[in-house]
Amino acid sequence: MVTTGEQAQDRDPEPDALSPTSAVTGLPQKRFYRQRAHSNPIADHSFDYPARPEDVDWRKLYPSIQPGQQVRFADIGCGYGGFLVTLGEMFPEKLSIGMEIRVKVSDYVVDRIAALRRKSEATGAGAYQNIACLRTNAMKYLPNYFAKGQLEKMFFLYPDPHFKRAKHKWRIINQALLSEYAYVLRKGGLVYTMTDVEDLHKWIVAHMEEHPLYERLTEAEAEADHITPKLYQSSEEGAKVVRNKGDHFLAIFRRL
Amino acid sequence: MATIFFTEPELVVGHGRRVLFVNPEDMQIFKEIELPPDLGLKTQAPSSTIEQGSGSCPAGKEQQLAAGGAKQPEATASGSAATKVEAPISVQNVAYSPDGQLLAVTTSGGQKALLLYRSWPENARLLSSRPLARAASALRFCSDSSSVLVTDKTGDCYQYDCVELEATPRLLLGHLSVVYDILWSEDQQHIITCDRDDKIRVTNYPATFDIHSYCLGHREFVSGLALLTDQHIASASGDKTLRVWNYIQGKELLLHELPAPAVRLLVRQLEPEKVFQAAVLFYGNVDALGLYRLERSPDESWSVTATQLVRAEAGSWSISNFTLTADRIYITGAENERLSLRVYDIATGQRTTSGVPEGWVKMVLDGLGASEEDAPPFVPEDLSVWFKKRFDNVSDYLERKKRRIEEQQQQKCG
Repeated sequence: MVTTGEQAQDRDPEPDALSPTSAVTGLPQKRFYRQRAHSNPIADHSFDYPARPEDVDWRKLYPSIQPGQQVRFADIGCGYGGFLVTLGEMFPEKLSIGMEIRVKVSDYVVDRIAALRRKSEATGAGAYQNIACLRTNAMKYLPNYFAKGQLEKMFFLYPDPHFKRAKHKWRIINQALLSEYAYVLRKGGLVYTMTDVEDLHKWIVAHMEEHPLYERLTEAEAEADHITPKLYQSSEEGAKVVRNKGDHFLAIFRRL
Repeated sequence: MATIFFTEPELVVGHGRRVLFVNPEDMQIFKEIELPPDLGLKTQAPSSTIEQGSGSCPAGKEQQLAAGGAKQPEATASGSAATKVEAPISVQNVAYSPDGQLLAVTTSGGQKALLLYRSWPENARLLSSRPLARAASALRFCSDSSSVLVTDKTGDCYQYDCVELEATPRLLLGHLSVVYDILWSEDQQHIITCDRDDKIRVTNYPATFDIHSYCLGHREFVSGLALLTDQHIASASGDKTLRVWNYIQGKELLLHELPAPAVRLLVRQLEPEKVFQAAVLFYGNVDALGLYRLERSPDESWSVTATQLVRAEAGSWSISNFTLTADRIYITGAENERLSLRVYDIATGQRTTSGVPEGWVKMVLDGLGASEEDAPPFVPEDLSVWFKKRFDNVSDYLERKKRRIEEQQQQKCG
């Protein structure tokens, strides 16, 4: 941290170093929002969560939301929001929500979306009105936000692997939670999962296939999905993996 | 934990290693149970695998998949625990099967188990003793008495078969916090559970992977549930409300403000499907118990009338549980770390001795071994931990961020 004393002398050289917003892109810089990757999803946190879906003020998140319009896509554990932004661009008619438990990271996404909206407004395009980010614990509060069968697509991209066996209950994909996801997903809705940890991938596939309300898409079906190539490209975590030449494991499931 | 409930004509009280079945009207003890010092738990505790009915997932599969490969499942822990020094076993919860033939007892302490007794025609014969993965939080038989549900502190709900006593328990559903109460609809189509995260969940049965609805609206833990009709339930919560729901639709029909957070709910039917008496135990309130009359009008709407507050001298002793008969309220608690039992009159809300046979309370306490010199101290569960701790990890961050932005702007201007 730079102290005020230093600041007084240090007039210029690197204005960027102190600013959470990049002078070049006009977007917030990630390094001011870094946070460790793990969070205990079972502990108490100070979340303001709605008691019921009817109580959510969606206009606060989507200022231009139309009457009757509902969130259809949810990126669970959206991280820095790279894929959420892509989703917003690919599906301008759909409202997408990113859910992230970490304070700084979700704040980054909120700031990033605000900056993207400002930039887009300046050019007259008015884009990015269809994406928003919530800081919440998706493992606990999905039914507080979404009615039964409301969602069309859910994304679980590079979830925390929680390697230790004792922490498997913290995994975002577990048997008990799959029933909750099935509750908020409409019939025919899709669940996209992506990870660079092979054991976790096997865990996800085993649990999803075992659950009577899901079936895995065939490889051909998964390939044919327009979102598939974007899943490999657009998440920041994904980009990192590509540089590391790691393997990606994609699996898509249909809600029966 | 002291458990107490009334089922005509028996008042059942469990404490320490004993359960007593007494007549509240006279000095008759119908029967008693004393837990053996060693429950002889041989079989393994249930695995953490939800069975989906197809039987396609043996527990071993999960172990293979476990990243990092834990060497031994935790199930063996309960077996080896017997050799270690352990906390004494005590009765935690007791329930009669609806047909009155079976009795289920959960234990806490060193040996956590579900014990099943045949209560009729025999005088409480132990049928089976099955280990529990964790301490139980609630217990409920299904209406045809063929199985019993046990929920635990981590939010899991297991079904134990009462016919095939050796059958592996099935993990039916999971919450992410303690499940405080569980109901099973009369037609056995729905299992209704409530948890510390303000939720009431309605799960289809036998397809328990399919959630039917949620009854949402409470703003604190939901401590108690009661079935009113084939569509309606009552709930009590730490948010100081008593509510009535159509659980099929997940719709709130009535909300009544209570003087204090509710930690236990008991409902008695006064007129079938129509009039009910609800009793609520409060947290940290001088008037420790509230009685309410719930009435259903022909048009499906419900009304509530507060009928009595019971000044159970809360504060002077530590109340743990209660039950109702037609005219009296029996409250258990701890006085100087000893079990105590007090009787109150429903009509007046006052402590009473009328109708209570002389020496009856002493008989019950003695029968439970509560007055023995070497009885372990009785300290009721600390319910303050039920409330969510609100620790703020946001405003500090936002404050620092604001300061950083201000500093940056100052710098620009300077």
